[in-house]
Amino acid sequence: MPASLVARRAVVYTLLGLAVLIVAFPLLWMVAGALKTDAEIVNPAAPLWPEHPRWGNIGQALSQAPFGRWYLNTTIFGVAATAGQLLSGLLAGYAFAMLDFPGKRPLFVLALSGLMVPFSAIIVPISQLLGDLGWLNTYQGLIVPNIASGLGAFLFRQFFLGTPRELGEAARLDGASELRVFAAVYAPLARPVAAALAIILFLQNWNNFLFPLIVVNTTEMSVLSQGLSVFQSQFTTQYNLIMAASLIAIVPVLLVAVAAQRHIIEGITLGALD
Amino acid sequence: MCRRYGTWALAYAFVAPTVLLTALFSLVPLAMLLWRSLQGGGVFDTSPRFVGLDNYRDMLAEGGGHALGVTGVYTAGFVLLTMVAGLVLALLLNSRVPGAARLRAPFVIPLVVPVVATALIWGNMFAPQFGLVNRLLSAAGLPQADFLSSPGPALVAVLTFGAWQFFGQNVILYVAALKSVPRDVLDAASVDGAGPVRRFRHVQWPMMRRHTLLIWVVTTLTGLQTFTQIYVLTQGGPDGATQTALYYVYNEGFVQFDTGRANAMGVALFLLSLLITATQVWLLGRADRAR
Repeated sequence: MPASLVARRAVVYTLLGLAVLIVAFPLLWMVAGALKTDAEIVNPAAPLWPEHPRWGNIGQALSQAPFGRWYLNTTIFGVAATAGQLLSGLLAGYAFAMLDFPGKRPLFVLALSGLMVPFSAIIVPISQLLGDLGWLNTYQGLIVPNIASGLGAFLFRQFFLGTPRELGEAARLDGASELRVFAAVYAPLARPVAAALAIILFLQNWNNFLFPLIVVNTTEMSVLSQGLSVFQSQFTTQYNLIMAASLIAIVPVLLVAVAAQRHIIEGITLGALD
Repeated sequence: MCRRYGTWALAYAFVAPTVLLTALFSLVPLAMLLWRSLQGGGVFDTSPRFVGLDNYRDMLAEGGGHALGVTGVYTAGFVLLTMVAGLVLALLLNSRVPGAARLRAPFVIPLVVPVVATALIWGNMFAPQFGLVNRLLSAAGLPQADFLSSPGPALVAVLTFGAWQFFGQNVILYVAALKSVPRDVLDAASVDGAGPVRRFRHVQWPMMRRHTLLIWVVTTLTGLQTFTQIYVLTQGGPDGATQTALYYVYNEGFVQFDTGRANAMGVALFLLSLLITATQVWLLGRADRAR
């Protein structure tokens, strides 16, 4: 191997290693902090890793706040909102791509118009609207406003436009209804798109903070992120408990992310570049 | 004939959830926002009246103008940091060094774990004296800073965390963009004697222009809507130094209950993102015509 190639590889590995360290270090800092005493955390001369890791800190953090309830709320919100986005996007995308009906063009523009209105701009009127509906501090208030997905409708439409028309024609000649053509012939083809989109939408819903913040203000209806921020305001200076609570929130998502990394990477690309 | 009406019914049933929910939860609130931004009185005022642009003047004078400035500085820094880091790391991952391509996965982690949790970690790392950043500063013989309580450093801290949290997305997108450059074009350039730098400048960069534009749009919109980082780390402080436009909307709307100012800033945010999206459509159209 020529020396210049060795040098080039060394530079690439060093830079990549440094970048991975920058990504990973805060998480290691969190684990170390979660296992320290507070005295160890605030002592600048103390070693980065505790001499006697205190695993009991995690149990103590768990007992200080209703993490189980917050996990349950986040799961209900995440699963229901994602399922709604996928299903409504699949149906609308299919209709806009494969069926002909009066008003198709304006309805398509309307379906995509949601993409032009960032949720963050309308937080005040949307919370007033949900208040008028009596939906504040409810699951439907969390879930229903998130179901329409312009992105989902758009991506599924793109996908179905690329599928062969002949498949449907053949099924129709065999006497299949339009609903059956969709359910038995076309919908199963969309499985890979649905998988990539599902994981990305799920993580977005799971980590959504601003929306639950304006819809929910009770402890028992809070999602995990909200609960965590309340936890922090109650235990401001008990840094080890705060780090333990962050750990409780991060580890499960980390496991999902490692298991589904291929779908996540696909989903990110699908959402932004297509 | 019968079949046709059946198809229509099916189609309307299929598009109904998306169309109706978009109308109810995007377009109706948008109309409410635009209308109410022109009306006087806070949430406790029972007789709203038309006041023209008063809310906008009030918003700009009472911290809103400053918040828009902070948002501009933050977004510019955010776009620069995350796009440069994303491109450089994607080029490294894409180099023909064995094993490099497999290192892509770690960069996704900050993007997918809860922002509140990582913000708490970074808050701890920026803490005075015992935080990691201050430990590193003293180790390097530099003066320490109380990051989250002094205006300039607080913005730097929030920006550092924001960039750390998001840059992985641009790594992933630039890797995909680099993959879209046809292998044979690159090989042809190599045969003509082009090294990695010239291949990048004359082949990859021009061929990725469309991707760069899309990445810029997504990144800018994300930067404009920064909220959770600020909420957890600084609550907009100290002294408004990290108060971004969206944090201003939240603070006026849900903490100070001055919905007039909140709505005026909401409209500003809406118009800004519309402007970004319109720029994208315009530039994409121009690129397509040039082809």
